[in-house]
This record gives sequence, structure tokens and C-alpha cells, in this order.
Amino acid sequence: MHSLLAGQPGVATSKQAWLNKLRSSAVESVSELTIPTTRDEEWRFTDLTMLTKVSLQPAQTSVKLSAADIQRFHIKEAENCLVFVDGVYAAHLSKIDNSLIILNNLSSLVDSQAALLQAHLAQQVASAGNVFAALNTAQLRDAAVIMLPRDTQAKAPVHLLFIATQKEVVSYPRTLLLADNGCEATVIEDYVSLQDETYFTNAVTEFVLADNARIHHVRVQREGVKAFHIANCAATLSRGSNYQSVNIAMGARISRYNLNVKLAEGAECSADGLAMISGRQLADTHTCIDHAQPHAISRQLHKCIVGGGAHAVFNGKIMVRRGAHHTDSEQSNHTLLLTDKAHIDTKPQLEIFNDDVKCTHGATIGQLDKDEVFYLQSRGVTHEHARNMLTYAFGAEVIERIPVASLKHSLEQTVLEQTSAKI
Amino acid sequence: MSAALQNIINQPYKHGFVSDIESDVAAKGLDESTIRMISAKRGEPEWLLDFRLKSFEAWLKMTEPTWQNAHYPKIDFQAISYYSAPKQKPKLKSMDEVDPELLRTFEKLGVPLHERMALAGVAVDVIFDSVSVATTYKAKLAEVGVIFCSFSEAVKDYPELVQKYLGTVIPSGDNFYAALNSAVFTDGSFCFIPKGVKCPMDLSTYFRINTEESGQFERTLIVAEEGASVSYLEGCTAPAFSSNQLHAAVVELVALDNADIKYSTVQNWYAGDENGVGGVYNFVTKRGLAKGVNSRISWTQVETGSAITWKYPSVVLLGDNSVGEFYSVALTNHYQQADTGTKMIHIGKNTRSTIVSKGISAGKSNNSYRGLVKIAPSASGARNYSQCDSMLIGQDSGAHTFPYIDVRNNTAKVEHEASTSKIGEDQMFYFAQRGIDAEAAVSMIINGFCKDVFQQLPLEFAVEATNLLSFKLEGSVG
Repeated sequence: MHSLLAGQPGVATSKQAWLNKLRSSAVESVSELTIPTTRDEEWRFTDLTMLTKVSLQPAQTSVKLSAADIQRFHIKEAENCLVFVDGVYAAHLSKIDNSLIILNNLSSLVDSQAALLQAHLAQQVASAGNVFAALNTAQLRDAAVIMLPRDTQAKAPVHLLFIATQKEVVSYPRTLLLADNGCEATVIEDYVSLQDETYFTNAVTEFVLADNARIHHVRVQREGVKAFHIANCAATLSRGSNYQSVNIAMGARISRYNLNVKLAEGAECSADGLAMISGRQLADTHTCIDHAQPHAISRQLHKCIVGGGAHAVFNGKIMVRRGAHHTDSEQSNHTLLLTDKAHIDTKPQLEIFNDDVKCTHGATIGQLDKDEVFYLQSRGVTHEHARNMLTYAFGAEVIERIPVASLKHSLEQTVLEQTSAKI
Repeated sequence: MSAALQNIINQPYKHGFVSDIESDVAAKGLDESTIRMISAKRGEPEWLLDFRLKSFEAWLKMTEPTWQNAHYPKIDFQAISYYSAPKQKPKLKSMDEVDPELLRTFEKLGVPLHERMALAGVAVDVIFDSVSVATTYKAKLAEVGVIFCSFSEAVKDYPELVQKYLGTVIPSGDNFYAALNSAVFTDGSFCFIPKGVKCPMDLSTYFRINTEESGQFERTLIVAEEGASVSYLEGCTAPAFSSNQLHAAVVELVALDNADIKYSTVQNWYAGDENGVGGVYNFVTKRGLAKGVNSRISWTQVETGSAITWKYPSVVLLGDNSVGEFYSVALTNHYQQADTGTKMIHIGKNTRSTIVSKGISAGKSNNSYRGLVKIAPSASGARNYSQCDSMLIGQDSGAHTFPYIDVRNNTAKVEHEASTSKIGEDQMFYFAQRGIDAEAAVSMIINGFCKDVFQQLPLEFAVEATNLLSFKLEGSVG
């Protein structure tokens, strides 16, 4: 077995032959790949040397958490909640109401929903050429699975909570959402930690939207300060579907989020993000919005607030394929550098193979406007408070797009606390 | 796309012909002896041979870069002849002594040398396949102390100046093609503006590739001392050959305190035929060093030719308050590929840079803007504004932007904007409604699109550039 999988126990054979095959082909992909270095164009700003130096064990199942331990992560609007502790499903902490939707962990659904799962699992995020996705699939034991039947209107959001409790472990969270024609739902993917030691979260998330489905995807990454977090997310949108995602990255020593959205005819997506980091954190966001077919619309707003000696990276690619006429795409990326040690690398990238398109992108980098700070001071607000208010307002533009009130409120509080602490 | 418009885009290359001048061509291939041969033929001093050999050594250790957004068959560097000089190499006192065949060549290009001199007051250092044949207006420039001559003359007459600045902006091992150029360059231009002198006229060089399969390796070095200023024009046309020609030039600019260098290029080399066969590979390294305080370097380019254009005229903003500018129009048609842009490296305090790039792609061509704006931790108060707009003509064309922004100072302000558009049916209809035919309409729209850049060109070039775009692109919309 390849060294990347050395020390990782093999996964128990499933009754489903296709699942075994999926894992073994991912193991094969892993053996052909290595951890990327800064010499790889896709990783040139994110150095993973630190990750290769720590020894990580697979998670043990022994940790027992009670509902009280995770009470503070509770989102009151969510009627459905799946909890994974160090990547392992915790049934006693989860809350499942299957009256509208089919929601469970993979192990519970793998036999009853085999055909659908086989058709979609690991089909959006490919193992080939992507070492972290391949590792995740090779170690695929369990997953959060959400299936939305035709025309379902799930009003309450679904909360997927991934909790890290042990040090020096690696976990492989996995999520699959299948939204049938015309359904609507909000999914919150939430990564939290109960400790501040080194660990590694390697997540894969796959969303499949059938015609006219509408999905809100909220992703909150608030891992521990010494954590490594690498996640691959792919959303495939069919005709007329709508995917709205907001990604908030606040935690982890080094985090990387790859989001790939593929748009079919008339589909719409928005892929917004906020990275708010300080100290020696690195937050890297790579997005690729692929206009594969005509008449699709995409919007993207990505913001970074960089304090301390932190380093933010944004690479936003908009791809317009041949024949994808009447594409309408807008991307903007704004960065606020709070200190003189803060550092940003940004690359808003357009690749267009069609003449009948409307594409724009813009990027700005700067500090807080002196005039704005002065204006607030002239109204009796202290200098420090004025700066906090403006920083908060800068980040709030993205947080406001979260459709879950209590989560929005708690994140706004977090941003406010962090801005006060940072300056 | 209408048939009439199709015709206009597909206009053949007007400057395609081969001048029948005897050339002294070296055997194909490249090794240390080739370099010693080139150096010996040119009667170069020891230090220059050392520079070449060092570069060659560095080149051998390098691998050909593949990151660019361009596709072409692998170049066999041993199948190129690295030296080609017209056999007749006279020392000329006036234009009358120049080979009449050579003069006719320029006539065909529509660049009547003497007329241009008289009308525009431009001194033209004619580069005809690697060797300078005639340098004009030298006397007038000498009066104010401006040195403007071929590179080989500069090596003979002003060795200490050349030695002092050669390779200081683009080191011999900078990149694959720059290293190759440093090893085998044959000639080029040298320009030196002494302290406090404003160059009395625009300086201009016409480059022309003539011998089939002879790679051209030009070397240009421009130095503006304290308070000096100069405007330099470079224009290119090449005859239609079916085999690809490699052009790997190096241009170095050095601006000392309060100096100002403006470098303008119109490039219209053979782009290959409508099936993408042939054409020039234009792999150029251009970089300016704004070394002194308040210095300014400005690049303006109009790139319409070459099968592959791959160049990034850059400015290193070292001096405090220095200014870097980049204005570019890149037009591609048929199977042309252009990957061009700039690098602005801010090191000094309060340095400012502006980037305006306009890409137009028609036919099956691909046009990429690739740029880097880097703000070093020392560059307090740095400011950058970038704008790159693309216009797509035809559904098989491609436009790409790869802007890299790297900021390490929080007092810096960086803005980047990009948009993509096409010539709309409603725009064309509006023109038609007012009795303006499609050709004229497209020409006007394109010229409007490129106006920000054309305004930066010296007058003669602006006219040439406007005409060039008109005949290369007119009517590519339907």
C-alpha cells in the first residue's frame, strides 16, 4: 500500500460490490499521486509541508459525547441534524425527522438506496488527479446522505455537524445530497472542534441538483487553531436549478476549500465566501464555476479579512465553454488587510470560449478607508471602535446572505468579537 | 458572420515576400562552438563572450517552459541557424549607398525610410536580419550626447557602458528564452540618454526577419540617466514563410533618478495562414528597471501578428515614487495564440502602476491576459490599477485572463477589473441605420474599444496601429 495510506486500516468489505470497487479504484488513484507542493500551479500559494510532517492516526470511536457537550453548536431552526464525531456517525446525538426527506448516514441507507447511491456517490468529485478526494473515497466508511424527493419543500434547514475531539487524528467527512426535480432545501455543513490540538479534516461534499431544484448550501469552517482542513465540494446543476452557497472560513492553521460548480442550461448559482483569519493562519479558497451550457447565470462575492501575519489565497475561475452562449457571470473579490504582516494572493481567472457572453470580474485589495474612520470619529466613536465597526461591516455583507437567522446572528457575534480582539 | 465580413478578416498578409539578398548563414545547431563563432564573427571582447558562455551554461540546465496557454509543436533548438548576416555589410555614409533591393523591401512594407525620416523626424536604426545596415540621424543625436546605435557598434565604441548595464535588468539565467538570447544574440539596438537630456526626437528601430528558418535573437538596451527622457518606437513586419520562425528577443530598460522611458511597439509579424500553418513564434522577454526616485517606465504595445505571441513587458519599481505603465492591444485571428500581459513589481515607497489591456480574439484564436501585480512589504503607499477587457468575435474564439495579485503591505491599494464583451447586433444595426457599412462600423467599434491604448502611442504609430487593426479585423462580426 502506498505511504499516504500507510497506517490507515483497510475499510471493511461492504455487501455492495460497487462500493468496494469505488474504494479500491480510489486506493489505486492514491498510489499514483503525491501530496502537492508549491511547484504545482494549483497549490503554489499553499505550502503543505507542515501537513506532511505530522503523524496522523485514524480516529478512534471511543470518544463519547453527550448532548450537553455539543449544545453550543445547536442551530435552533434545524429540525434535522446529523452529527459525526471525528468522522464517525453519532446516532445518539443526531436528530432525524424523515417525514419529508430521506436523511441518514450511508451505512443505514446503502442497501435500501443502492441504485441511487451507486449512480451518484463519488461521481461529482473525482479521485483521479485529486489526492485528497482519492484519500477520502479510499477511506469511505460512512457519509451524511440527504435525499430530497420530487417537489419537496423542506422549510427547516438540515444541519450536518462534524466535530473534532481527538488530537493527531485524520477524519474523512463525506456528504452526498441528491435533490430531485423541483425540491427546495437548506443544508448547513458545519465543521467545529472541541480542542486546540493538531488534527486533519479531509472532507468531500457532493451535491446533485435535478431540474429546477433550489438548494441553499451554508458552509461554516471553524476548526481548531492548529487544525488542517482540506475540503473538496462539487455541485452539479441540471436545467433551471438554483444553487446558493455561502462559505465562511474562520478556523484551522491551514485550510483549503475547492468548490466546483457545473451549470446546465438556465441554471443559476451564487458562490459567496468570507475568509476571516489572523495569527499565522492560511485560508485558501479555490472555486471553479463551469458554464457548460447556455443561459446560465453565476454570481460570486468573495471577501477576505486578513489580520496578524495571516495569509489568504483566493483563486476564482469562471469557465465558459464553447456553445455556452448567453452566459451571464459576475465575480468580485475584496480583501481587507488589517496589519502590515498580512498577505493576500488572489487570482480571479476568466476562461472564455464563446463570444456571446457577459462576464466581468473585479478585485480590490486595501485597508480601511481613513475618511470613513475619520467620519465615525467625528461622530464621537473611538478610533478603535470605528475600525471594528467598519471591519465588521465589511464581513457582514457575506454573512447576511446566510438564510438561517440564528446561525447568521451567532456568526456576526463571532466576527464582532474577532475584530475587537484583532485590533 | 456575414460573407462580406468573413472576407475582410481573411485578408492575406500584405507584407509577405522574401527579399533576395545574399545572406551569410551559419550551419544549423547550437553548442559552445556556435557561440564562440558568433562572438568571433562579431569581433567581441572577452567579457561579452564570457557573458554568452555563462548564459549558455544556464540555458543548458533549464527546461522549456510549458505553463503558457499556447500549443505548438516542440521546438528543435538544434534545427535553427543561429547566425545570419547579409553578406554585403558596407559602412554607409548616406542612404544612397544602401543596397537598392533593401530599400525596395522597405518600400513594399509601406515604410519609406527617407520619407519617414523627413516627415516625422524619426531616426531609424534599420535591423535587417540581425545586422544593422544603416543608422540615421546619428549626427543630430550626437550633438546632444544621445547614443543611438546598433548593439555591436556599442560594444566596440562604448564597451564600459554596455558592460555596466547589460544583464542588470534581465540576468543571463532569467528564463529559458532570455538565457538562449543572452547566449546567441547577434545584434540589436543600444540607446543611452545622458544626464538631463530630453531626447530631441522619437527613436525608432524596424526589425525584420528575412532569412528562412533563421531565429532572430535581438538584444535591446536603453539607459536613461538622471533626468533624461526618451520615447522609443519598435515596429515589426516579417515575410510569409511556411515554416515557423522563432524570435526570442530581450529588451532591457534602465531608468535612473527622474528619468522617463516610453517604449512603444507595433508588432505585425507573419501570423500563419488561415489554417494556422506557419507564422512567427514571438517569445520575448522585456523588462524595465525604474531604478531611481521618481523614474517612469511606460510600455505600449499593439500586438497583431505572430502565430504565438508570448511576452510580458514588466516594470520593477525599485525607486521611491517611481511609475510603471502598461498599455496593450492584442489582436488574434484564425489560429493565432497570444499569451501576453505584464508584471508590476512594487518595491519602492509610493510606487504607482497602471495596466490597461485590451484583447480582441476572432476566428479560432485564443487570447490570454496574464499579469502579476506584486506589492513587496517595503512598498508602503503603493498603488495599482488594472483593467483588462476582452472582446470576442465569433463563437470559436477564446479569451482568458490570469491575473495574479500578491500583496504584502496593508497600505497598498490594488484594484483589478476585467470584462468580456462582443460586438452586438444592436450596435451593428445602429451603424447600419445611419448608413455606415459593416466594415466601417466594426473598425469604429474596435478603435473605440482600443482608444485608451492608442492614445498612448506616438502619432505615427497611432495611425499605423489603427490601419493595422482595420485591415486585420474589419468585419469579423455578424
